[in-house]
Amino acid sequence: MKKTDRIFSTAMVLFILFVLVPLQVHAGKDGPAEDEQTCLNCHKSKGLQLTFENKESLPLQVDVKELRASVHAGLACANCHTDFSIDTHLKRKFPGKREYTIKASRGCRLCHSDRQIKTKKIHLSMLTDDKTKVPVCVDCHGFHSIKRISGGKVFEDETQYCLNCHKHKLGLHFKSGDNLFFQVDPSHIQQSVHSKLGCSDCHLGFSIDQHPQRNFKSRRDYSIAASDTCRRCHFDKYTKTLESVHYTLLSQGDLRAPVCTDCHGSHFISSGKSEKIMSARRCQKCHEDIFAVYSSSVHGKALLDERNQDVPICVDCHNVHSIEDPRTFDYREKVPGVCGNCHANKAIMAKYGLSTEVVNTYLQDFHGITLKFYKKQKEVSDKSSTRPIAVCTDCHGIHDIAKARGQSAAAVKANLMKRCRKCHANATRNFPESWISHYEPSLERAPLVYIINLIYKIFIPFMIIGLILQILLHIWRYAVNR
Amino acid sequence: MVTSEPKESARLRRFGTYRIVEHYFIMITFSILVLTGLSQKFHEFELSNWIIIKLGGIDMARLIHRYTGLVLAAATAQHLAVASIGLVFRKWPASMVINAKDFTDAIDNIKYYFGVTNSPALCDRYDYKQKFEYWGVVVGGVLMIFTGLILWFPTLVARYLPGELIPAAKATHTNEALLAFLVIIIWHIYNSIFSPEVFPLDTSIFTGGISRERMAHEHPVELARAEGKPLEEIIAGHHGETYKIAEGD
Repeated sequence: MKKTDRIFSTAMVLFILFVLVPLQVHAGKDGPAEDEQTCLNCHKSKGLQLTFENKESLPLQVDVKELRASVHAGLACANCHTDFSIDTHLKRKFPGKREYTIKASRGCRLCHSDRQIKTKKIHLSMLTDDKTKVPVCVDCHGFHSIKRISGGKVFEDETQYCLNCHKHKLGLHFKSGDNLFFQVDPSHIQQSVHSKLGCSDCHLGFSIDQHPQRNFKSRRDYSIAASDTCRRCHFDKYTKTLESVHYTLLSQGDLRAPVCTDCHGSHFISSGKSEKIMSARRCQKCHEDIFAVYSSSVHGKALLDERNQDVPICVDCHNVHSIEDPRTFDYREKVPGVCGNCHANKAIMAKYGLSTEVVNTYLQDFHGITLKFYKKQKEVSDKSSTRPIAVCTDCHGIHDIAKARGQSAAAVKANLMKRCRKCHANATRNFPESWISHYEPSLERAPLVYIINLIYKIFIPFMIIGLILQILLHIWRYAVNR
Repeated sequence: MVTSEPKESARLRRFGTYRIVEHYFIMITFSILVLTGLSQKFHEFELSNWIIIKLGGIDMARLIHRYTGLVLAAATAQHLAVASIGLVFRKWPASMVINAKDFTDAIDNIKYYFGVTNSPALCDRYDYKQKFEYWGVVVGGVLMIFTGLILWFPTLVARYLPGELIPAAKATHTNEALLAFLVIIIWHIYNSIFSPEVFPLDTSIFTGGISRERMAHEHPVELARAEGKPLEEIIAGHHGETYKIAEGD
């Protein structure tokens, strides 16, 4: 017994070790089909690759781990790769990777019928005959790594999930018959200021689980509706836009008026505080003609030729979001303040040898005072001004502002004459001389005014001090006499 | 109205109704012009803003200023015309004309204030202070009228004259306005209200009457002429406090 016992127990141990344990382990791994092992013998190793006619190539290595974790772990290779089996390994030729992918996706449809996939609305658009224009199954769902959709944890994050499809050119179809083929470039998202946001942060109603089908009349309707989402975070900017001329136009039904995304872009949104030229270019998209005029102005030239960051761009005068109609009296009355933002700033003007007195000389003169009171009057009554008071832009130009010295001085002078006549209808050629420009009166400039001011500057104190002295003497004498 | 004479004293007629009305006229128009004009000159002051807004805005303030100026211009023209006619055809005494005595009177008064002499200057119907104010109003007024009209019709002026005249007119108008305002508010208000000799108010330009005592004190030459007495008698008969104390000084 002793000897037979020992032999038996040794045999049992060996049986367990070499037969049962491997069987158990095998069973625990969902049991790969017999052919899988055969295929993987070659396809688990690196280096295998398929080269297409267009020189594209596809690695043929299968990640075993991924395969085992996939929802299709129980299937045999040949269940999907129908042309292959243990016995047959066809040598096939494809023009390119895309054609191969389309062909490979047909395997899915062996099990997943049209009826089944139609239950998800997102699939509807993909059931077309021309597979080259729409994504195919594996584009979104992957191939060896297919997981249960319900798990929702297939992708690293939501963006990855959405991009899986949307990195391809997908079509949006509108009632108007318009189509928008749109592709999201993942690198744009990475570079945008919103790189940390998920898709559904902006695309409300969409998520890993939800992909509602919506109906828009036109591509423009979609853009306008889509930009509504911005205000959920940027409410301050949104309220400003409500005062803008663009919003007014939009609410009057002019769909060409820009919405957030027209200026800021959608997936590639950069910081608004980037280089000035970028901002100006946004306006240029619609206001091409004005941008052309601006480009030749003293400000525009400096911006474009020297990349000067001191010069005003569109938004410096027109505001950023609350862009108002510049053709109103209200706007006109803001002009000296707008120009004064820079031209009364000593630090900026010193760089260019310009005087900051230009604003003050205007504000202290007849027109400047009138303008100031018009503005004050508006604060207390809702009546708007009835007369357009001459402001900076009337003589210096609007988008075509030129240097007031040198060659363009004559143009400014000509503007002056024209502008005077708008209000002073019968002004003659020497009438503009009555405006002594932005100069303080001096012996060289406006000597008459200078001399008159000087005389009074001496005479008034002399007279008043003299009179006060007489009064004091009179009181003193009266007091002494008493 | 309160007068500064406590003693029973004969009241003399100094101004007729015509002059009283003229004074009211200039008093009201000058005040309006100062209010509407200086609040434009000193537009940075909160009070100026308040005045202009209350008047209905800058356009309204300017409208009031210009038409009031026009009224004052008409009154000035009328005054000068009447004065010319009176002087030339009615042989009015040229009591407002500045003469050498005014300068000596001024010097005499200063001497008196400093205690060099014992008595103030003996003046006629208008003393040198009153003449100074009168001519200030007339000359200043004419200056204001002309420069004001230039500013009102700048294009018309520039048609015939150099454009620089317009800012020059503005400089004159605004400076002269300040000068006039200061002279009135300091000198005229002192002499007609706060001067201890008339306080609380010199009523003569409102009532037309003045006490004989004040006449003897301020305008002895005129009083002597009116009463047909020698000047010495007027001075001797005038026992004003100032004289007594001055003599004892």
